[in-house]
Parts: sequence; C-alpha cells; structure tokens
Amino acid sequence: MLKEYFKIAVKNLKTRQLRSWLTILGIVIGVFLIMSLLSLSQGLKNTVLQQLKAVGTDIVMIMPGSISDIMTTMMGGVELSDEDLEVVKNTRGVEVVIPNLYKGEIVKYQNESKTAILYGIDIRNALDVYVNDMGMKIATGRWALPGKRELVVGSLVPTDIFPGMKIGTTINIKGRQFEIVGVLKSMGSKQDDSMLGLDIDLYRDITGARKGAPQAIAKIAPGFSVDQVAKDIKNNLEEQAKRRAGQQGESSYSVLTSDAMSGIVGNIMGIIQVVVFAFGSIAVLVGGIGIMNTMYTSVRERTREIGILKAVGAKNSTIVLIFLMESGIIGLVGGLGGMIPGLGLAKLIQAIGQVHPMFYIEASVSPGIILFGLFFSFGVGCLSGFFPARTAAKLKPVEALKHYE
Amino acid sequence: MAVQPVIKLEKVWKTYQFDHLALSVLKNISLEIAPGAFVVILGPSGSGKSTLLNMLGCLDLPTKGVVYLDGRDIAKMSEDELAQARGRKIGFVFQQFNLLQNLNALENVALPMIFQGKSELVRTKRAESLLTSLGLQERIAHRPSELSGGEQQRIAIARALVNDPEIIVADEPTGNLDSTTGKKIMEILIDLHKNEKKTIVVVTHDPTIADYSSQIVHIKDGEIVENHINHEKMVLWKK
Repeated sequence: MLKEYFKIAVKNLKTRQLRSWLTILGIVIGVFLIMSLLSLSQGLKNTVLQQLKAVGTDIVMIMPGSISDIMTTMMGGVELSDEDLEVVKNTRGVEVVIPNLYKGEIVKYQNESKTAILYGIDIRNALDVYVNDMGMKIATGRWALPGKRELVVGSLVPTDIFPGMKIGTTINIKGRQFEIVGVLKSMGSKQDDSMLGLDIDLYRDITGARKGAPQAIAKIAPGFSVDQVAKDIKNNLEEQAKRRAGQQGESSYSVLTSDAMSGIVGNIMGIIQVVVFAFGSIAVLVGGIGIMNTMYTSVRERTREIGILKAVGAKNSTIVLIFLMESGIIGLVGGLGGMIPGLGLAKLIQAIGQVHPMFYIEASVSPGIILFGLFFSFGVGCLSGFFPARTAAKLKPVEALKHYE
Repeated sequence: MAVQPVIKLEKVWKTYQFDHLALSVLKNISLEIAPGAFVVILGPSGSGKSTLLNMLGCLDLPTKGVVYLDGRDIAKMSEDELAQARGRKIGFVFQQFNLLQNLNALENVALPMIFQGKSELVRTKRAESLLTSLGLQERIAHRPSELSGGEQQRIAIARALVNDPEIIVADEPTGNLDSTTGKKIMEILIDLHKNEKKTIVVVTHDPTIADYSSQIVHIKDGEIVENHINHEKMVLWKK
C-alpha cells in the first residue's frame, strides 16, 4: 500500500506545484552548500593524508615552535638553526638529518619563464631516505650527482609546466644553467610532482639560504623506538635552547612522528569539516523550517480532505504516512537538486586547480558523501513534516469535515 | 425488535462546551436501527439531525451514553478500529459530495479500497463497475470540477458502496441538487435498499422518501419527538 500512499503524496505535491518547488529550493540551497564544501574539505583531507602516508613510519619531522601555535611559527619565519640541526644529528638513534628546503623561484626553460618550486636535496648523505622513505623514485633518467648542476624534476614538470621538456636539455635558474637528468615518478600530490630538485649545496648557493632550515626531517635508526627518539630530540633541542636563554629567549620545538602528523592533520581537517557541516546545516535547517511551514499550511488547507480520508477508512497512521511522504519527497528532491550542482561546483574548482597549481584542491565525490546527502535531506524533510503530519492525524473526522476552505 | 440492531443508541448526549456555556445538541437519545431498515431522519435546521447521523456513522463519539455498532461500544474502540469500521461497514454520502478535487472519478471511488489493502486491479474493476452501473462510464477520467452536482453525488454514492458496506449513511444527499436530479439520487438509494439489501439512514426533507421508509425519526431541539417503525416494510426487506 506504500506505493498507493506515495502516489497520493505526489499528487498532492503536484496540486500545489509552485509552493512545492519554492520549498524544495530552500533545501536545494542548503544541500548545495554542504555538498560542495564537504566534498572539497574531504578531498583536501584525503590529499594531505595521502602525502603523509608516503612518508615512512621511521621518519620524524622537526619544526621550531609549539605545534599548538604552528601558524605563528610559520608566519613569523622562525627557522631551525645550524646548531639545532647539529643537536638533532647527535641525538642517539638518529640515523640521518635532512633539512627540508624549498623556495619558489622564476626559472626559464627555452623561451618560457615560470615560477617553480625548487627543492634542496641532500644527495650526498641521504639519497636512500628520499628514495625509500619519501617515495621519490626515478621514472626516467637518473638522479642528479652531488655538486653538479643537474636537476631531477617532478612528473608534472615535463607534461604540465614545461610541456615537451626532455632529459638532457637545460633550464636556467638565476642565470645558471642546469641539466635535466631525471624525471621522478608521481608522488601523489600536485606540489611534489611540480618541483625541481637539485643538490642541497647548490640550492643554498642559488637561494641565499645558507644557514638552517624551516624544518628538518630525521630518519630513526633501526632498533630504536621512533616515539622515544622523537622525545629525546625534543628534549635535547629544548635543553640547548635553555642554555642559550640568556641571549635569545626560550624556544620550543615540535617533533612529530608520521603518525602524529597524520593525527594532527586529520584533526584539523575534521574540525574544518565539522564547521563546514555546521554552517551548511543552518542553511538546511532554514529549508526544513520552510518545509514545516508548507506542511502546516497544507494541513490547514486540506483539513476537509483529511476529514474525508478518515470518513472513508484512513487510519491515523495512514494520514501521518502520507504527510511524511510529502515532506520526505520535498527533502529528497531538494537533496538531489542541491547535490548535483554542489558536487559539480566542487569538481569545477578541482578542474580550475589543475590549470593553476597554486589552487590545487581535490574534490572527493564518494558514494558515501552522496548517500549521506540524500539521507540527510530526506531525514530533514521527514523531521520537518512530522509535527504537521501529527497535527493532521489528530484532527477529528467530524470537525475536519465541517471545515470550509 | 427480534433481530439484533446494527446500530443502537442508548441515552446518548452530545454536549459542546463553550467557555462557560454548555450546549447540548443531542439530549438523551435512544434509538435502534435494525439491519435492512430504511431510516429517514427528519427535523428543522439546527435540531441535531446531522450530529445524530455523525454518531450513527461512527464519525463522532457521544459525551454521555453509549453507541453500539454490531453490539460493540464505539467509545471503547481504538481510533484505528473506528477507521476500519467506517471504511468497511459504513458508506457515507454527504450533502457537499466531499470528493477529492485532485483525483478523478475513478480514483475517488477507488480511494476507500486503498485503505482496505485491495490491489489496484481489484480496485479499478470494482470502481469501474460501480460507475458504469450509475451511468457514469463516460465520466471515469473526469475530475469533480468537470462534473455536474448530480454526477458528483453519484460518484460519492459509488465511493460509499465500493467496499460493499452494510450501512449507507446519507446527510441531505439531495440538498445541493435540483429536484429532478435529487429524485434520481433518491431512486438510487431506494434501489440500493431493495436490491442490494443495504441498511440506509438518510437525513432528508423529501416527503416521497419518507413514504418509502421503514422507520421515520423526528427530531427537535436535540430530542426524538417521534420514532415510527413500519414493521410491514421491515418485513419486505428481510432475507
């Protein structure tokens, strides 16, 4: 009989088409907001976590400043000093320390100039860490040799940034010629795949960043507990900072294992998603109030009709079901109507991001997000229709029949 | 009365409370309706005829007293049981026709069968056959707004009959119709009594139908002033 009630519900909605569509529009806007923002934030989370996953579990990241105040540290330009790097290197259990050095520079290939990210690679001391722990593997060609003006480039450089770029050709960075000797396999992120990697000494020479590094990466030697060594690094750095306190003030450091980094990123993105969802939900809530308003109006207008249905044998539960179906359909159609342009917009932003690498963002359109959107909007519809439906069902047949429109 | 009444009212009161004023529309009404009776309820406007009819049709409950349907106190029935009783046992014909405007004739007639869980095929067949028997085969796909008053009332009668109820309750069924059309509607009700063996309870001012009836109930100011049973006509009906 559900099919029959559904038909009645659709007929009722069709009878008041303009009002039904306007109510649906309220839900469309809310779901549109939620879907576009959720898919983008989920995509962002996936991308970041994927990048972190590429980092080995025996790797820790060292940054100056407290993790709870990470933005101040990054914006303030606080860096690790050479002494800091030395302290890390001398900590028991640390196999190797790699300063994490990158900077945007204008580079010229043939007649074309573009801004690209230069990445300083410690080829002499830690090539195996880059290859085995950070997923930087050569696809074609070979690795650059230490001290030589040679470059390895990310997989997107010869396809997207300088289309047609070939191994053996040269690229001009700040007036110096570098030979392209290798192309890396994709590392799964647009930024990593767009970089130009060169020997660390040459990097320092070109960019002028002669000392320290914004962050550093340490590989933990086999047989040591990653968490314990991370703690030791932090303690050693802070002790050293205390010794210098008289001159420079006390400093704090963050030493993050790959698990901790994933956790932090996951948490931050989770908070972003909750905020996005909360704001989107407000819009859907307004849409829900619209549904409730429409349904209450409908109950008032159809009081006599409800009386007729009861007189010919409709139970209270049947009346509730018909009204809930009407509001559920409004919610569901609104959900579908909001989801299609919402996810479309997210994909459009992703497409724009692929043309302009600075805005690179991935949109995650998973069956989960689609199902969630549909259930959510249907649920809001049903919930909004519940009280009007109950009011309708509670009407006494004889009184409802006396009602004149 | 030898046969158990299909509907029985025992000292029934219906009182409406308005702030400090209590208005009794029905006062101590006792009435029995035998299966197969053709009951006509007569009385001036505001005498309580429709309230009495609503009580007989299980659309309303008494403030005091008991209404029995097939021996069961309707006040003790759940709302769902009452809805089922209305759908299965009683067919309503209203003065205002009370058809659903967004459904066509066929859908209006078939509607009560949906609530009895009947399949679409069964519903359509039954509704078509009833509409045809009432001369509305050409009007099946028409909506109420496209039909005359007489046609609408015939659709309402078809809807009242669709679940093959034992009792037909009609509240001034000819009140909104011209005399010729009204006469035809009354003929249909008489035919239902004679040939379909239905118990008919009708509120009307039509004297000709009063002549045909087996029981005449006069009501005034909420009280029964006359309850005349014509036993000969009752016998006429008995199976």
